[in-house]
Amino acid sequence: MGTREVISSGNELSALAAKDAGCRFFGGYPITPSSEIMHEMSDLMPEVGGACIQMEDEIAGVAAAIGAGMSGVRTMTATSGPGISLKAENLGLAQMTEVPLVVVNVMRGGPSTGLPTRVSQGDVRQAKNPSHGDYRSITLCAGNLEECYTEVVRAFNLADRFMQPVFVLTDETIGHMHGKAMLPTEEEVRAGIVPRKTFDGAPEDYRPYGVGSDEAAVLNPMFKGYRYHFTGLHHDAMGFPTEEIETCRKLIQRLEDKVMAHRDEIELNEEFMLDDLTGAEGEVLIIAYGSVSLAAKESIRHLRAAGIKAGLFRPITLWPSPAESIKKYTDKIKNVLCVELNIRQYTEEVERVSGRLDIQGLYKVNGRAISPYEIVNKVKEVF
Amino acid sequence: MARTLMRFTGVGGQGVLLAGEIFAAAKIKTGGFGLKTATYTSQVRGGPTVVDITLDDEEIFYPYANDGEINFMLSVAQVSYNQFKKGVQEGGTIVVDPNLVQPSDEDRKTWNIVEIPIITIAKEEVGNVITQSVVALAIANTFMNAIDKDALIDTMLSKVPAKVHDVNKQAYELGEKYANEAMNK
Repeated sequence: MGTREVISSGNELSALAAKDAGCRFFGGYPITPSSEIMHEMSDLMPEVGGACIQMEDEIAGVAAAIGAGMSGVRTMTATSGPGISLKAENLGLAQMTEVPLVVVNVMRGGPSTGLPTRVSQGDVRQAKNPSHGDYRSITLCAGNLEECYTEVVRAFNLADRFMQPVFVLTDETIGHMHGKAMLPTEEEVRAGIVPRKTFDGAPEDYRPYGVGSDEAAVLNPMFKGYRYHFTGLHHDAMGFPTEEIETCRKLIQRLEDKVMAHRDEIELNEEFMLDDLTGAEGEVLIIAYGSVSLAAKESIRHLRAAGIKAGLFRPITLWPSPAESIKKYTDKIKNVLCVELNIRQYTEEVERVSGRLDIQGLYKVNGRAISPYEIVNKVKEVF
Repeated sequence: MARTLMRFTGVGGQGVLLAGEIFAAAKIKTGGFGLKTATYTSQVRGGPTVVDITLDDEEIFYPYANDGEINFMLSVAQVSYNQFKKGVQEGGTIVVDPNLVQPSDEDRKTWNIVEIPIITIAKEEVGNVITQSVVALAIANTFMNAIDKDALIDTMLSKVPAKVHDVNKQAYELGEKYANEAMNK
């Protein structure tokens, strides 16, 4: 927890984080419940010599942001689920061309126009595979006001480390919630910035995509004398289209391995009141993420007061999932309850990594938050 | 201090959101925890709006008020009153603007219903209808005694332009006066 006290909303904190993390371009299109991020960015970017542009639609918004990323600056877009649906094709382009980009998705009810002003976690599965083809999503999920800031900062560093889009999922509840956040100082954030790798050898030796089998592309900023090519087609070490069999295989395998071989650098979880769970009969493991974890924490206070030993495992990085960490707890604790504002989107991942089909669930898809008492009642009902 | 839960309801555009932010910020500045959440509909103006304010000395996780736990509600629109009154605990206080909200006889048995013409006070006595949210703020704080008055006024003034400080101070004093009169009835 940081030392800088800020009273703000989740959306405003996401914008502040972007500025502090060195973001200098925002391209987007307003959509409830994420619009305040762009409002803030339109104030913050000019103050630091950056640019914020409202484009003609969601597609152009992400396209502009990717263009800025290609040129070498830290760049962001923000939207909600319907916007991600529109941006999907360009997000695939950024995966293929390995352009770093932060995408904040303030989730609302879906599918389609859904419930514009209401909370949901319906985009968890979408964040894993918004575009077609093989690539690995890096998706972070803020669970409180502080994390609307810290996870956006982390997303910028991960985007430059892995050279690809990084999602930050928040939701209507957290985006519009207004209260106290203890943040790291701007100096601390700046000290933690690790810029993307660059090549400083002779221009004729530069091979942006000619990197090791589990390494990210090395894309030099534009206008520095290094020439290369961007394409959504399978491409060679210089970025030019190719159908050469081994080059194509290696490229897509590398997109997979650059993330999956380094999951330890991406994984982040919170373990809340799990210390004293021993695996004894009657103990309860709740798995929840994002704003739902706020209700889960209050429910654990109530459950413990009623003599039920319960704890929360909260993945902060949703994709790639913290498979081993989840399995460690699901192997030990018999009673497992997943709580989500969708229908089983992450429960299915918990089933996969735990190898268990007896995971209980509490789901809600009417645009309203899950209350602590609903969790308490569900625990008492199913275990 | 135990947890204090307040709910302000109205229709979109009335400024109830700002009152919630001021409460939360003032509580934080005096060393505690405060959270404001708002829910509204897709209608830009005229849709029912509800703001929940949670104040506590301990950390607050879940940001919404649970039904039946709200200590105090203030309402300036019938549609929102009807929809959100059930959140108030039995015997809790509900302040309504009698020109805009007509509680039923049943409601008067369940809750301590207090009628204060909030909009009229802002419009006619202060002379600026926008100050209704500050009148509401003063009424809520007078009934709940939630936050030191000076801290609340300082926070409120920090969120409005300097040129309207005087009218907002006046709005606060009037809100407090009407609340005290209502309590002493």
